[in-house]
Amino acid sequence: MTFWRLGIIRGIVVGLAGSGLGMGVTMLLRIALGLTAWKAGPVTAVGTVVGILFYLAGLGAFKYWLGWVRRRAAEEPQATEPTQPHWARYLSFDINHKTIGIQYLVTSLLVIIVAGIYQLIARLETSQPGLQFLSPNTYNSLVSLHGIMMLSGVLLGIAGMMNYLVPLMIGARDMAFPRLNAISYWLTPPAVLLFLFSLPAGGFDTGWTAYPPLSLRAPLGMQLMLIAFYLVGWSSILGSINFLTTIFKMRAPGMSLFRMPIFIWATIATALLQLVFTQFVGIAFLMLLLERLTGLGFFDPDKGGNVILFQHLFWFYSHPAVYIFVLPGLGVISEVVPVFSRKPLFGYKAVAISSLGIAFGGMIVWGHHMFAAGMEEWLRVPFMFTTLLVAVPTGIKIFSWLATMWLGKIHLETPMLFVISAIVVFLIGGIPVDLYIHDTYWVVAHFHSTLFGGFVFPMMAAIHFWFPKVTGRLLDERLGKRYWTVMTVGFLVTYLPMFWLGLNGMRRRIADYDPALGLGTMNTVATIGGYLTGLAMLLFFINLVVSARRGAPAPANPWHSQTLEWQVSSPPPEENFVTIPQIVGSPYGYGIPGSRHALIPMSSQPPEEVS
Amino acid sequence: MSRNKHLVLASILVVIVSAILVVIFLNTNFIPTEAATQAKPIDHLLRLLLGIGGVVFALCMVFLIYSIFAFRHRQWDSAEGPPLEHYSPLEVAWTLIPLAIVLFLAIQGARVLGDISRAMPAELEVKVVAFQWDWRFEYPQYGLESEELRLPVNRPVLLRLSSLDVIHSFWVPAFRTKEDAVPGMVTTLHLTPSRLGSYKVWCAELCGTGHAQMQAPVIVVEPADFETWVKELQK
Amino acid sequence: MSRATTLVINRLTIKRLGLWLFILSESFLFLALLVVRFYLQGVQRPTELNQPLGFVISGILLLSSLTAYRGESAIAYGDEKLFRRNILFTLGLGILFLVGVGIEWAEGFRFFPPASGFGTVFFTLTGFHAFHVLTGLLALLTLVLPGQKGRFTPENYWAVEGIVKYWHFVDVAWVFIFPTLYLVS
Ligand code: HEA
Ligand code: HEA
Ligand code: CUA
Ligand SMILES: [Cu+2]
Repeated sequence: MTFWRLGIIRGIVVGLAGSGLGMGVTMLLRIALGLTAWKAGPVTAVGTVVGILFYLAGLGAFKYWLGWVRRRAAEEPQATEPTQPHWARYLSFDINHKTIGIQYLVTSLLVIIVAGIYQLIARLETSQPGLQFLSPNTYNSLVSLHGIMMLSGVLLGIAGMMNYLVPLMIGARDMAFPRLNAISYWLTPPAVLLFLFSLPAGGFDTGWTAYPPLSLRAPLGMQLMLIAFYLVGWSSILGSINFLTTIFKMRAPGMSLFRMPIFIWATIATALLQLVFTQFVGIAFLMLLLERLTGLGFFDPDKGGNVILFQHLFWFYSHPAVYIFVLPGLGVISEVVPVFSRKPLFGYKAVAISSLGIAFGGMIVWGHHMFAAGMEEWLRVPFMFTTLLVAVPTGIKIFSWLATMWLGKIHLETPMLFVISAIVVFLIGGIPVDLYIHDTYWVVAHFHSTLFGGFVFPMMAAIHFWFPKVTGRLLDERLGKRYWTVMTVGFLVTYLPMFWLGLNGMRRRIADYDPALGLGTMNTVATIGGYLTGLAMLLFFINLVVSARRGAPAPANPWHSQTLEWQVSSPPPEENFVTIPQIVGSPYGYGIPGSRHALIPMSSQPPEEVS
Repeated sequence: MSRNKHLVLASILVVIVSAILVVIFLNTNFIPTEAATQAKPIDHLLRLLLGIGGVVFALCMVFLIYSIFAFRHRQWDSAEGPPLEHYSPLEVAWTLIPLAIVLFLAIQGARVLGDISRAMPAELEVKVVAFQWDWRFEYPQYGLESEELRLPVNRPVLLRLSSLDVIHSFWVPAFRTKEDAVPGMVTTLHLTPSRLGSYKVWCAELCGTGHAQMQAPVIVVEPADFETWVKELQK
Repeated sequence: MSRATTLVINRLTIKRLGLWLFILSESFLFLALLVVRFYLQGVQRPTELNQPLGFVISGILLLSSLTAYRGESAIAYGDEKLFRRNILFTLGLGILFLVGVGIEWAEGFRFFPPASGFGTVFFTLTGFHAFHVLTGLLALLTLVLPGQKGRFTPENYWAVEGIVKYWHFVDVAWVFIFPTLYLVS
């Protein structure tokens, strides 16, 4: 049966069986202990965990290792069976980094669509004072799910970009640990499923930050979200191990650290943050889960707990996390700007190092989310100082891009247009924040601007830039430019009013507000803007689908870029490089006579294993 | 046009645009009226940030938009830009100047924090108890309990916040400052109401179903009126 | 050196780096747990805590690290019998350690239940650590079968090296957890 060969089908079936088994065993155990058989929390928790393990086994994730233990000639499993149709790769446990990159990106886009639609529903509610059609609890669940799913979508999106690009950009055949890489990806579909189930299971009206004690009282949906984000967290920890090892050990000969494209530097900084800090949010969420399930007393003051502890652990991750979200985006901007300005990246070394600067700076600023939280008074000043300090390396990047464009030969194709929007929007978002503004729409406007400027627009630039490489077809330029216009206008219409709303006393996470405050008009404007971005996204998807099927065939290097991934065919061959490239110069030597980044020896002989 | 001409033109534009932005930011009144002495330094800081932000924004925007128009190229011919790879004095400048600005802002911010959290002599003490989804105010010096927060004008107040269930946050927009009420802890907030009138305290931390509606009246009155109110309640 | 051997060595350094990064990440998990301990309970310690038993199981775990190390160096010199014996010793000592933790837990439930301040900290720290011991034991178990078939040679024993390194890490984690639970006050 070919159907059964699809990893995902086997995964789902075996996973469901496992989860039933887990639930059954738990219920039996509870009966044995003299408790009522059914209690939603613990029974579903065990069911979920066991189900996920079975699902991974069903997918075939452990086949290689089990074979190794039992010595069934530990041969490399074939990536795809030739009998399978092309699309089947994407639904199976495939270990090629390009497949995994696409899997991540598609999942990411799906998650972002759902999260966006949740928020569009919620925006309809807030567009006028008074309660229209949502109960406050549903409203808050929608907003919270919007937040956490968007952020998970961002994590998946950057993982997708990095997976597809890192080996190609450094001249490697694949990632260092391809099987681990596939596992990192396959941890995320169950997470997405859990997010989706969260709403029917009661949702969680706590915001994405899940502060206790509120989150200890939230419905079952809370628990599903905690497990889901825990999975996404492990996915990104395992992924970061892979990226760091790949970059440090598998660069093509001649690629010294300062000949790496900036995107690679950004990946290093991102992966370091993910590797270390994800553990903190993981433990914080696990502690919440344990307190909900077993009554341990981490956060309940009556049991000797402390609610501020959660906030410290949570923000110790979640602040660095915002730099996890933007660093790859800033890396993409650094790739696109030189290509479309036909000039070398200005101040390459400073831009490279500033990624690390942002990462290290971002580690010591988490307290700025807790200024009003009853944190020790004296801590506020150092946190404020370190927070502002991050502006310096960020500024270096922005000024260097501007200097790269200055006197260049600027080509305004769609990727470049998105980069320009990204810079503008990021600058708007960088305007600092203080106490008065805490928990108002100013904050909402701030982080949407930084997220759009640092992730959404760069990701759009990236998709428009690398689409020809990935699919071998060109995207429709005219539709792309229209999409860009609607998206940028939609963004400004949505979020500029929110700055004003925040200053005028509009709090976050409210379904209803006092009509006397006079906030109705601006809220309506913001809702219209939100729907405009939704419309823009629709255009984008149309363009993606149509161009992938009918677009004009793309040449290997449509943008005349010098980095490695453009020196191979579009789409790249299965093993990336038929011969090992030799790196001889800077990746951005535009306009320098005779400058080259790489020499790719012409040879028909397949290379030896070089990993 | 020569390179220097571009630079001069862009610089002039930067000055003009920053001036416009700064004037707009400093002269429009887009926040609610202040009603406490603590609001002054906070508003001052906000304007300072907006002013500096305006200049930085103008600088970047002008150079970005200027480049797009002046250096636009249409054909994918082989034309490449001049190979300027770096220029150290410039790079040092755009590291050190922002660093100086940031230091300056941090010092200003520390001052403001000091100002708003300083204890005053002869404070009126009020215990603010937050719970799902309402507020209660206790005046231990008078042995009173009230549904509304009534304060005499120009007298320093010390609020002691606590919560009976989940986290809430005390926010009166016109007073500017804000502090969470955390279960298991007592947090404090210093205030000196400076303007008569009635306001509202809003809960600024998501606390469940009734969060949006969680509010209570705040009334700032003449000291004499405050005394009569106290007498009335004590009876 | 032939090209083939350089490739094998290169592959080995890749695997080593990956393992070290994983260990780095995990050590931040334990760091977070230690922070939790001090944040919630300061340096408090109830008198009912069974310190002697704590010392005994610490000794057992340290010993198991030693046998694991001897197993690894045995296979590096090609002594398969010694290797197998030491891996089995390590497994036994690890199980003994878990039994010790189980006894501690049984006592803990009586004196400081999970819903109390110190109980929360104690059960969490020892629980997370015991879970890591358990995964370490499972990993060691996977060495037994291939070991009997003579699959490890002085040239190729990465699986042994990696798992033993992980075992040492779990051990070191306990070296930090033990004093913070049993000794400070
Ligand atoms: C990608 C996401 C992202 C990024 C990049 C940032 C970047 C920054 N963030 Fe933001 N932030 C969020 C996402 C992000 N943030 C989110 C999601 C929240 C809310 C979480 C929640 O509660 O739900 C939040 C909340 C948040 C708060 C808490 C608000 C509150 O709830 O009370 C604060 C407070 O200080 C803050 C500050 C900053 C600062 C100073 C930066 C700096 O890094 C910005 C630096 C950039 C610039 C300053 C512009 C460019 C620089 C120059 C051109 C140089 C010259 C400039 C000067 C000299 C000023 N952020
Ligand atoms: C990457 C992150 C990201 C992104 C892209 C967005 C995108 C959007 N966000 Fe959101 N947002 C967050 C991250 C993000 N957000 C976070 C972290 C929070 C905090 C949550 C919390 O408080 O806990 C938040 C909170 C938040 C609020 C505050 C709610 C509150 O506090 O009460 C609002 C209010 O308007 C809002 C609006 C929007 C809108 C209109 C979009 C739009 O740009 C969305 C556009 C996208 C789509 C619509 C999807 C794709 C579209 C289609 C497939 C087309 C077809 C569909 C239709 C036209 C219906 N977001
Ligand atoms: Cu109380 Cu929100
Ligand atoms: Cu932050």
